Amino acid sequence: MNKLFAVIKKEYKTIVKKKSFIIMTILTPVLMAGMMVVPVLLMKVDRSDKKIAVADYAGGYIQALNAGPAKKSAKAKGGLDMDAMNEMPELPGRISFHPVETGGRDAAGLLREYEQKVLKKEIDGLLLIPADVKSRRQISYYSTSISDFTTLKFIEATLRTAISRQLLLERQIDPAVVDEATREISMETFKVKKEGTTKSDSGMDYMMSLFMIIILFMILINYGQIIMRGVLEEKTSRISELLISSARATHIFYGKLLGIGLAGLTQVALWILLAVILVSRFSGMVDAAILSFLTPEIAFYFVIFFILGFFIYAIPYAFIGAAVNTDQEAQQFASVLSVLIIVPYILGISALQNPNSTLTLAASLFPLFTPILMFMRITTAVPPLWQILASIGLCVLTIWGLAWLGAKIFRVGMLMYGKKPSLGEMLRWVRYK
Amino acid sequence: MVMDIIAPDAGRVEILGEGLSEKVKDRIGFLPEERGLYRKLKVMDTLLFFGELKGMKAAVVRERGRRLLEQFQLAGYEEKKVEELSKGMAQKLQFITTILHDPELLILDEPFSGLDPLNIELIQGIILERRRAGTTIIYSTHLMEYAEKTVDSLVMIDQGRKVLDGTLAAVKAEYGRKFIRLQYEGDARFVAGLPYVRSSRDSGREMEIELEDLSRREQLLRDLLGRVTVNGFQLSEPSLQNIFIRKVREGAGA
Repeated sequence: MNKLFAVIKKEYKTIVKKKSFIIMTILTPVLMAGMMVVPVLLMKVDRSDKKIAVADYAGGYIQALNAGPAKKSAKAKGGLDMDAMNEMPELPGRISFHPVETGGRDAAGLLREYEQKVLKKEIDGLLLIPADVKSRRQISYYSTSISDFTTLKFIEATLRTAISRQLLLERQIDPAVVDEATREISMETFKVKKEGTTKSDSGMDYMMSLFMIIILFMILINYGQIIMRGVLEEKTSRISELLISSARATHIFYGKLLGIGLAGLTQVALWILLAVILVSRFSGMVDAAILSFLTPEIAFYFVIFFILGFFIYAIPYAFIGAAVNTDQEAQQFASVLSVLIIVPYILGISALQNPNSTLTLAASLFPLFTPILMFMRITTAVPPLWQILASIGLCVLTIWGLAWLGAKIFRVGMLMYGKKPSLGEMLRWVRYK
Repeated sequence: MVMDIIAPDAGRVEILGEGLSEKVKDRIGFLPEERGLYRKLKVMDTLLFFGELKGMKAAVVRERGRRLLEQFQLAGYEEKKVEELSKGMAQKLQFITTILHDPELLILDEPFSGLDPLNIELIQGIILERRRAGTTIIYSTHLMEYAEKTVDSLVMIDQGRKVLDGTLAAVKAEYGRKFIRLQYEGDARFVAGLPYVRSSRDSGREMEIELEDLSRREQLLRDLLGRVTVNGFQLSEPSLQNIFIRKVREGAGA
């Protein structure tokens, strides 16, 4: 037992004393805060002036577009989370729409000429409004970049309103009524939780979940790699012979896992502490949405799923370290493992919008995916307690199995030099003694 | 196998009167052939870690560690990282970790490989000191000359088979006292062709000559005189080096 403790102590001290540990501990929350603030700021500040040429075959819409921003119609309809970022700032009226003299040319001819202008960046885009837009409701936009949601949503919404207005006005309806009929709706979102319902910004919620997941994902991979490199170092420098001649292989293996795990936990604890200090210090400056998101419950689950995730991924990483002989080989295998960690992350993106679907439920109960997916579900829509407990139970069972397997593979792999073992050989290691 | 690195296919290992266990491991010191220490770990931390792995108390490790570091001329390096040490220093540190817990059995795999003569002497001194203190020492080496001067008994292994086993005296007796050690100057290649010489090993200034029969030694001396300058001529036991080469050749021939 003392030997187990000696290994834990050594592994823990080695990591915690490293400069990179200290830097990461301080820098990550700063980066996280930065990542939250910067995109929003960029959205606000870096809206470069856009010049869009409009070929208005229908006539009359360009005025509506240029008048648009004042009418607050850029707001997309709520619900779709991806738009959330765009909802934040009002669109500054920096997009200018310039009418194109069609001069009797048809759309195809016009397009050929303007394609060149778009490519030369003389204009940012060409908007084609066909003559039959009222009935077909079809417009086309040509640009080198079509990922600017804000602009696209704005054009769509403005034209929709303009067409509605026009249709109504044609029916001789009182312009006041028309104004009233085409007014925008704004939606507030609330999150229903056991502790009570809070006003919450769906966009902020989404971002916070995403950031928490990214951090979880990063530290899981980071600590997995640390343990892999540690095992590999012992193997290549032949320290493993010394270790095994001094203590039981299982003690070394578990000591390593626990020591590095504790170091990770220390880092997570420091982060939480730092977050608490920062939030209480600058509570006035922090968005209320963030405050409502960062509950003690979330912190608690973050710790739980970090621990589970650590063991679930660290043990396979340790396998790799013990089984291979060089850094390159290790990286090859490690990249396969990273994919396994990325899968729940990708699944999670759909899970965020649909946190209670059957697929999400099933995937979040699959132990290899649980740490990331279940945590993701908890941050968006708290799943029933039995699901959380079941997923934790399954994880613990998996860890127990992995630890048993890991100790065996570790024991043999650590002393096996030279060739890369095949899967069959690894299976034989498990049966060994 | 003794160090629990490889499990036996059959049979069981017994060390210091006990079966192999974690307790017994604490009484053994092992120096592997391929040296390795944690590069990022400080010297004293290295000692602490390996000491505690052998079941020592931290305070004891510190005290003994400091003394040993001094003995190995490494005092003052306690807070340096292993990667900052020179190769020779790291080897000495590794040797310290091996004897830190005052083992009753020392297993040293090529303890002198890669050391300069000064450090070889230092480690030889320590080994001798341990031996006087009653530690059983098993080591492997290719330095036959050194082995010849120190060992009580030896085992020679060639291609996985044991070819020699016994006390040094017994092994040598098996080869009889039919050897002449000759120190000379000049060209003595003709010796190999003499009819009563069974074998010879020429090192340039010294030659080990095996005679068919010891009674021919005077004949040999007579043949030598006048052709080379004889600086020394004595009856000797076969050197371990000689036995080693002979055994390996036999093995290869068989």
